Amino acid sequence: MDFGFCLSPSSHVKMDSVDLTTFNRLKETNPDINTCIACGSCTATCTAGNFTEMSFRRLLLMLQRGKEDEAKKMIQRCMLCGKCTLVCPRGINIRKILLDITR
Amino acid sequence: MNSQIIFHPFVLPFVLGMAFVLTYCVVGLIRVIAQLPKDDRKKFWRSLVTPKTAWANIRDLFGDCLFHVKIWKRNPVLGYMHSAIAFGWFMIIVIGHIMLFTLKPLQGVEVEGMARTFTNFYYPIFYKFFATETPVFAFLMDFFLLMIISGILIAVVKKIHSKIVGVKRVTKFGFADNMIRFALWTIFPFRLIAEKTNIMAFWWLYSIDLLIFMCMLPFTRYMHIPTEALFILLRHAGIKPSDPRKGYALAQIYSCPSCGLCIDACPMSVNDKNSGNTSAYFMKKLRNGDKEEAQRIAETCMQCGKCVEVCPVSIESCDIKMSQRAAVPYEIHSDHSYLDVISTEAEKSSKVLYFAGCMTQLTPKIMRAMKKIMTAAGEEYQFLDENGGICCGRPMLLSGKTAEAQAMIEKNTELIKQSGTTKLVLSCPICYKVFKEEYHLEGIEIQHHTQYIDELVKSGKLKVNKNDVNYVYHDPCELGRAFGVYDEPREVLENVGNLCKAKSEKELSICCGGSLGSFNLTQKERDEITENSVNDLMFNNPDEIVTACPLCLKTFARKSPVKVKDIAEVVESQIIN
Amino acid sequence: MKENILIIGGGAAGMEAATQLQKMGLTPIIVEKSEQLGGHVAQWDRLFPAFHPAKDVVEKMLNQVKDVKTYLNTEVTDIQRDDNGFHATLSNNEKIDAKAVILATGFDIFKAERKQEYGYGIYNNVMTSVELEKFFRTGHDARINNPKKIGFVHCVGARDVKVCNTYCSKVCCTTALKQACEIKEVFPDAEVYTFYMDLRMFGPGYEDLYLKTQKDFDVKCVRGRVCEVSEDMDGKLVIKAEDTLFGKPLKMTLDVLVLMCAMEKNKSIDAIQQKLGVANNTDGFMQNQDMYLGMNTTAQDGVFVAGACTAPKSLPDTIGEARSVATQVFNYINNK
Repeated sequence: MDFGFCLSPSSHVKMDSVDLTTFNRLKETNPDINTCIACGSCTATCTAGNFTEMSFRRLLLMLQRGKEDEAKKMIQRCMLCGKCTLVCPRGINIRKILLDITR
Repeated sequence: MNSQIIFHPFVLPFVLGMAFVLTYCVVGLIRVIAQLPKDDRKKFWRSLVTPKTAWANIRDLFGDCLFHVKIWKRNPVLGYMHSAIAFGWFMIIVIGHIMLFTLKPLQGVEVEGMARTFTNFYYPIFYKFFATETPVFAFLMDFFLLMIISGILIAVVKKIHSKIVGVKRVTKFGFADNMIRFALWTIFPFRLIAEKTNIMAFWWLYSIDLLIFMCMLPFTRYMHIPTEALFILLRHAGIKPSDPRKGYALAQIYSCPSCGLCIDACPMSVNDKNSGNTSAYFMKKLRNGDKEEAQRIAETCMQCGKCVEVCPVSIESCDIKMSQRAAVPYEIHSDHSYLDVISTEAEKSSKVLYFAGCMTQLTPKIMRAMKKIMTAAGEEYQFLDENGGICCGRPMLLSGKTAEAQAMIEKNTELIKQSGTTKLVLSCPICYKVFKEEYHLEGIEIQHHTQYIDELVKSGKLKVNKNDVNYVYHDPCELGRAFGVYDEPREVLENVGNLCKAKSEKELSICCGGSLGSFNLTQKERDEITENSVNDLMFNNPDEIVTACPLCLKTFARKSPVKVKDIAEVVESQIIN
Repeated sequence: MKENILIIGGGAAGMEAATQLQKMGLTPIIVEKSEQLGGHVAQWDRLFPAFHPAKDVVEKMLNQVKDVKTYLNTEVTDIQRDDNGFHATLSNNEKIDAKAVILATGFDIFKAERKQEYGYGIYNNVMTSVELEKFFRTGHDARINNPKKIGFVHCVGARDVKVCNTYCSKVCCTTALKQACEIKEVFPDAEVYTFYMDLRMFGPGYEDLYLKTQKDFDVKCVRGRVCEVSEDMDGKLVIKAEDTLFGKPLKMTLDVLVLMCAMEKNKSIDAIQQKLGVANNTDGFMQNQDMYLGMNTTAQDGVFVAGACTAPKSLPDTIGEARSVATQVFNYINNK
């Protein structure tokens, strides 16, 4: 019920209204995307992550939690060096996903 | 033979076709040159008068366009096939024209002015109908005509069963390509029959065949015949394609004969499904204006450069693919401002500067081996990225983002120059390529560790034992094909053990499948490429596979039946203290 | 009914199957390639979850098979089959005829040097879980010198496409926590970290073991996979991982790093397995008929499997399977 006011803005992720268009589009071309076990290898090894908050693991979550703008901002830190793709234990083609997000 | 006749309506189809193709070529030539960026155009004009490039032009025009040296080298049967047809045809035209002068005036017929020029146009093509020749010319003309027909016979066999001439896969053609090929194959038998029997129908067929061939030529692979000459000139001008469809690239697109030699060569072809991703098809998609497919192929390519190596026309398909990649507006506008705050702990000295690179951070054995080698050789060195560094910029360039890569290149240049070094040693060929091509490090010698170790061993600074392990060396694409570093690693290995040969060596070596160049290949597709490459290396049953690239090392290690090592590791184990 | 049953492999599965078959009146023959029975369990100090001495279990098992005909230091080099059953040739050139064959060849430990980024065989203080167990058993290892900080890496060679093993190795989580407790017992002042993705504490008493690590031993569990190991100037290990719960990459120095190596299929039996016509499953282990009612049978009549040759298994799993395979073989012989 909507009383037309509330005490404070909610900080919840609004899962009911999350827009998954981008994530679903990525899933089509990169079915591996769902095999991520969030181990954080990509973040830990990230060359840019040495200096910035770049984290592919979180980026994937952002896309699934309606924070697409934040995700796209984060991508700008990436050097595309491919180290993450090399260490990913699930064989996810991270470089391609990063490029696909921005296409 | 009626020597009085100088015209017959059957020459008209030929004249029409010839006029069309000539007009098309002239317009095309102007278009290509007009599309070149201003600087490139200047370079092009200058190259035509610079003695060095002018000489290279002449050499290649004869060698490639006329004698087809590169096809001969690749496959003698194909070399003969192509030369028989192309060179034979060329000779028939040339001798026809020479004859024209010796037959002056035309068997007693006086032809003046315009008529004379007009006659010259078709006369040598149909001379037997109009004139009789001397026995020497008759023999020469028949000889080359038969030579052409022998070439066509091989072509027919190749079409039916390509393996007989040593080709596993051939390019699949559409209707137009098949039709023009049929026209080409029938031109010469028709001519032979027409000349020998003088049946009017065959003269007509011969002429109409020529019309079909020339009218279709601009829209099919046979456009390579006129375009290759222009391409050779542009290539020697030292320019790079800036747009995948314009200018220099356009000249290359039309120069591609779709011969398909790159299909067998491409490491991706190990899976037949992927042979459509090879350069021959890429060029076709570009020609047909299929941008989406061209983009997909460009991004699937591993950039190993083998297609360029085997290409009988030297089409720089890798460069065109790169410009195709750059054509996609990815929303990556990298913000690399954070790089500003990075500084190096390296002190200012002229010590050797070692830069391991991102990939090498994941192969600590290489870093450890390099440290030991440098220490054992008494070299003073600094390790630039021991605690992590900045990417060299090549992966970003491979994504077609030149400006974004520049930020990293500049930062690395600054860090390296700060160190005051005169020698930079790299462990990763991916870095090596970009350092050699895009960095401006005047006064600093850039070496890959294979070259550096070779130098240390040869100068006696590093003393090594020889053991009796049989090594096979895999040439990383970005070290081998890109820079021809073939001998140094082999000489090093011969000093520490026995070197045995792979099935495909040096410029023909097969990419490991791990390449950063490809965006699209799945792990499974990469695995197939790796397995094929490993099998090729295992040809002579070596005890160990040796490579000089951290990425090749990691890729092979997944699939190899024997140990895979970096050359630095092998040398490290044989150091005499 | 004194039919011969050939059991290849003298580990827990092989010994237990032999014990049961003998009780059923059949004649089991064990062929073991190493110099003693007991397999991997014999190399272990204590067993999870309750720190039961492995020796105790192994000795009981050995005692039960003391009358079983056993070949040590012997491998099956060839095996043929005809209407009368199987005819095996051993590496000592003896020939054995048997009515059924049980493959109880167990597993191999993942070779840690294949994950080069973990530095095994490169840096001195990186060791495997097997080597740590040996330290607990024998009390000495040059690498363990009063360490102050010890790290455990889970899933080394498991759940990892890059080494072609996509499966979970089942027992490493529990083993890591068991060993974490044990090392704390030896060095109470040391800090112990485990780097895990999921803690799969699936069995009875296992969750209690986890609680014990938290309440009694203060083992610090960090959720994240170690991705790079290097060495600093003092020879200490520097590891990089992401603390995924905190959401930031971390770096830390350690005195000892223990790699929890996965179980892999024992490949030394491949040639014989092929001759018997038993295929591998997608994880590279032997393919049984199904994982419910056909877990001990294979596509080949008379060829049975038991234990970790079909998938990573714990000791209780293996013993259970060994007993079950005995019943299957007994029924097979009786119904012939």
